[in-house]
Amino acid sequence: MQPFNFQVNLKGIIDLLSNHLYSDPGVFVRELLQNGVDAITARKRLGQAFDGEVKVEVFSSHSISITDNGSGLTEEEIEQFLARIGSSTKREEQDAADDYIGQFGVGLLACFVVSEEIALVTRSAKDGQALEWRGKPDGTYTIKKLEREVSVGTTVYLKAKADYEEYFEYYRLSGLIEKYGQYLPIPILLIEDGYEQTMTVPTPPWRMSGEEAMAFVEEAVYTKPLDIIPLESRLGGARGIAYVLPYGVSLQDEKRHRVYLKNMLLSDKMTNILPPWAFFVNAIINTDSLRPTASREAFQENELFYTVRDELGECIKRYLIELADSNAELFERIVMIHYASLKTMAVEDDELYALFIRHFRFETSYGEMKLADIVREHSSILVAATLDEFRQVARVAKAQNLMVVNGGYVHDLDLMRNLPSVLEQVTVQVLNSLEFASRFEELSVVEQREARPFLDLSDELLGGYDCRSLIRWFEPADIPVLYNTNQDMHFFRMAEESEREANALFAEVVRTIRDDMYEKPHARLCYNYNNPLVRKAIESGDAELKKASIELFYTQALLLGNHVLGAKELEMMNRSLLRFMNMGFDAPEVRS
Amino acid sequence: MKQRFDELRRSSWGMSDARQKLLVLEEMIGIADRWLTEEDAYQVRIQYMSAAVEAGARERLLVAFAWCLSRFERSPGDFSQHSLMWHYKWVLNEIWRMPEFSLEVIGRVFEDFRQKCLQYGYSLRPYYQQQVNFMLSQGMVEKAREAYKLWRAAPRDGMADCRACEQNLFGSYLFRINHLKRGLQTLKPILDGKMSCQSIPQNTYSKVIVPLLKLGEREQAAVIAKKADRDVKGPMFLEEHGTFLEYYAVTDMKKAVKIYNDTIRYGLASKVGWDKFNYLLSVRLFLREWGKKKRRKKLAESDYVTLEWLDREIAGLAEAFNRRNGNSYMDEYMKDKDKHARRLVEAYRPE
Repeated sequence: MQPFNFQVNLKGIIDLLSNHLYSDPGVFVRELLQNGVDAITARKRLGQAFDGEVKVEVFSSHSISITDNGSGLTEEEIEQFLARIGSSTKREEQDAADDYIGQFGVGLLACFVVSEEIALVTRSAKDGQALEWRGKPDGTYTIKKLEREVSVGTTVYLKAKADYEEYFEYYRLSGLIEKYGQYLPIPILLIEDGYEQTMTVPTPPWRMSGEEAMAFVEEAVYTKPLDIIPLESRLGGARGIAYVLPYGVSLQDEKRHRVYLKNMLLSDKMTNILPPWAFFVNAIINTDSLRPTASREAFQENELFYTVRDELGECIKRYLIELADSNAELFERIVMIHYASLKTMAVEDDELYALFIRHFRFETSYGEMKLADIVREHSSILVAATLDEFRQVARVAKAQNLMVVNGGYVHDLDLMRNLPSVLEQVTVQVLNSLEFASRFEELSVVEQREARPFLDLSDELLGGYDCRSLIRWFEPADIPVLYNTNQDMHFFRMAEESEREANALFAEVVRTIRDDMYEKPHARLCYNYNNPLVRKAIESGDAELKKASIELFYTQALLLGNHVLGAKELEMMNRSLLRFMNMGFDAPEVRS
Repeated sequence: MKQRFDELRRSSWGMSDARQKLLVLEEMIGIADRWLTEEDAYQVRIQYMSAAVEAGARERLLVAFAWCLSRFERSPGDFSQHSLMWHYKWVLNEIWRMPEFSLEVIGRVFEDFRQKCLQYGYSLRPYYQQQVNFMLSQGMVEKAREAYKLWRAAPRDGMADCRACEQNLFGSYLFRINHLKRGLQTLKPILDGKMSCQSIPQNTYSKVIVPLLKLGEREQAAVIAKKADRDVKGPMFLEEHGTFLEYYAVTDMKKAVKIYNDTIRYGLASKVGWDKFNYLLSVRLFLREWGKKKRRKKLAESDYVTLEWLDREIAGLAEAFNRRNGNSYMDEYMKDKDKHARRLVEAYRPE
């Protein structure tokens, strides 16, 4: 049997790789710089003494050349590596601890995105023959031996394709070189009309002192960060800085960390190099040992990647722990601005929880307060699990000297529930809004007897709305009734609606869930005996007036509590309002 | 009212807490039912069904579905048939987890789904797939095997689960019939990160721990547990939390405490018998390990969650399932779990 090879459409493959692997045409600059730097590293390994440099020269008519004085290529190496996609001179040593940046040997393909032809002149440091290689995106290439004198190294010539001229302009190139290569350890020179500019800077941010880094960030992003956190991961050979943002950021915002691989920019919008809770900092990080993906715009998310991420996260934690001691004022400011991020951290980490919890602010029945102040005054705390429940009780709670914390915001419930783990003397209870009113002062036996018929009438009128009535004496007096529901109220309405609508089989399913898996919640309407109107309603001998007052108390309470009024409830409200209007007009002084 | 509805919808988008989101959607449904269009009421329920699963309140999915199904049956042209059937498939995956439903009712629901698949021209692949789970939950391995064969033979179409979910279930099934190595091989593409979806690989991680320990692959188990520690979050994964709670109760008590404190309220809030049963079994193992030493630290809900309480709850749930299933499979199931617990302790603390 004769084996056959697959036929590959080379042009198609080159097009696919060059146009679809990279997200931005400008990456050809990165690939070329990288080849240059790697070639210089390779020549140094040969033991040759020289000062490595890469020169990028801009010519008129949208052409450029990139020259390095690195190892150059022999004819054999050209055949082997340039003309074979997927190979690279660096491949064999991929797993060794190496100084190379590149890996894939597909880097040159990025040039076909912006240019119709790649011309390359090279002389290897190993043999003296100067060679010229020309490759086209259809997969054809030529190799020519050059007679003229060429110095050791490689020069790549490119001419812009239509629509890509911009990438060959000086301003654009300088921007791209600065973006990708400004921290490379080998000088990069940009030349136009004989003017030379060094594009690399001597000290990358991850080697700067705290003050230098502060000034650097301020210049780069136009705002002064609150502080600089040094980052280091020994396992991942990563170093960097995280700067604490001077303004609050939303949890939903995408993070944009700048990450360098062996001093070359890999991505300026990497989201996941720090743990997800660290959204109050932006980072600039350089790493030696994480593996990039083929497009070299992100890292492979392997175990090492997560280990590095954890180590970097640990740096931020340590920093905060030390800061609490060394600079209490700054610590306070960071907590104040970045409470959302720090609350997320505290939920995840017990040590940080203990450190932060006293500094966090919470919405309470006494207004917004720091936890330290909350626990100074109150050793017994109620937490409302939802914003809705908090709103139901907040105003009344304060009047009864009850400390209720709103646990409806992200993490606040968890944070409050864990409180006894660090403050043993404090008790924290999750508020049961239905039983909340039972905490108020009970009436005397005589008063209770007096109010009984009124409550019975109320139960009779509101029974159809799953609402039960009670009466207590509470502050403030201007609130006639307190209406409480619990979290399951809406669900129950929904279940009833489903049961009514559903086919026989599913009506049975819904009934089983409702009856066998849940207890039916009743809303509670608590009348305030401290309120003069309520007293008048109780004392009134007019049955119709009593009924209208109950209906109006109830519907008013629904409206004030932002509850949805059903058609029947709306009708009830209208009816009782009109009755009162009528009574007003019929009153003797109006009639006269 | 439309304004309030839109306001709630906006706030629901940014909510990271699944339970809170569910409450907001319930209020939206209330408003839509009374004041907005049928279309609004239907669509918000579709959204609600995913939220219910995420919040671990799977029974609520059934309630929303019942309403949608009836609207669909009344005017099939007005709503997406595919979307409805897709959610119906979820119903099949949930209903047997609740011992409150009799086999008769579950059977009728399965049959209704089957009829509708035939009526609308869908493959019966998801029907058989759900049968496998349902049969296994009753310990009916032979019937599960039959359903498994039919499942693999039925053609894949737009109603089939995503490939990652299917692959995950192939593996789980193989574990159940004790083909451990084949099961691990089947799940390899998932563990290598080559297949994933919303619940995969999180669910897979918990599935492979027991087989790995049975095969003595402790290092691999440790790697998986570490990955899970990073990815398995939230009330959606109650059973999964249990698996790792067990694992860490024996290997790293500090981590176990963290998992317990973070997840116990999900366990207490859960009304889904199967998930709760499995989770509580793990909590019991954890508490027994915890109780072996004198501890100063208090655990969350320590007044409520005691060994006695757990014994009562677990026995009650096991009894409910046995009664429903008309057999005593849950006793066997618990024995198997105990065996696993011993295996864990032997593997990591061989004294």
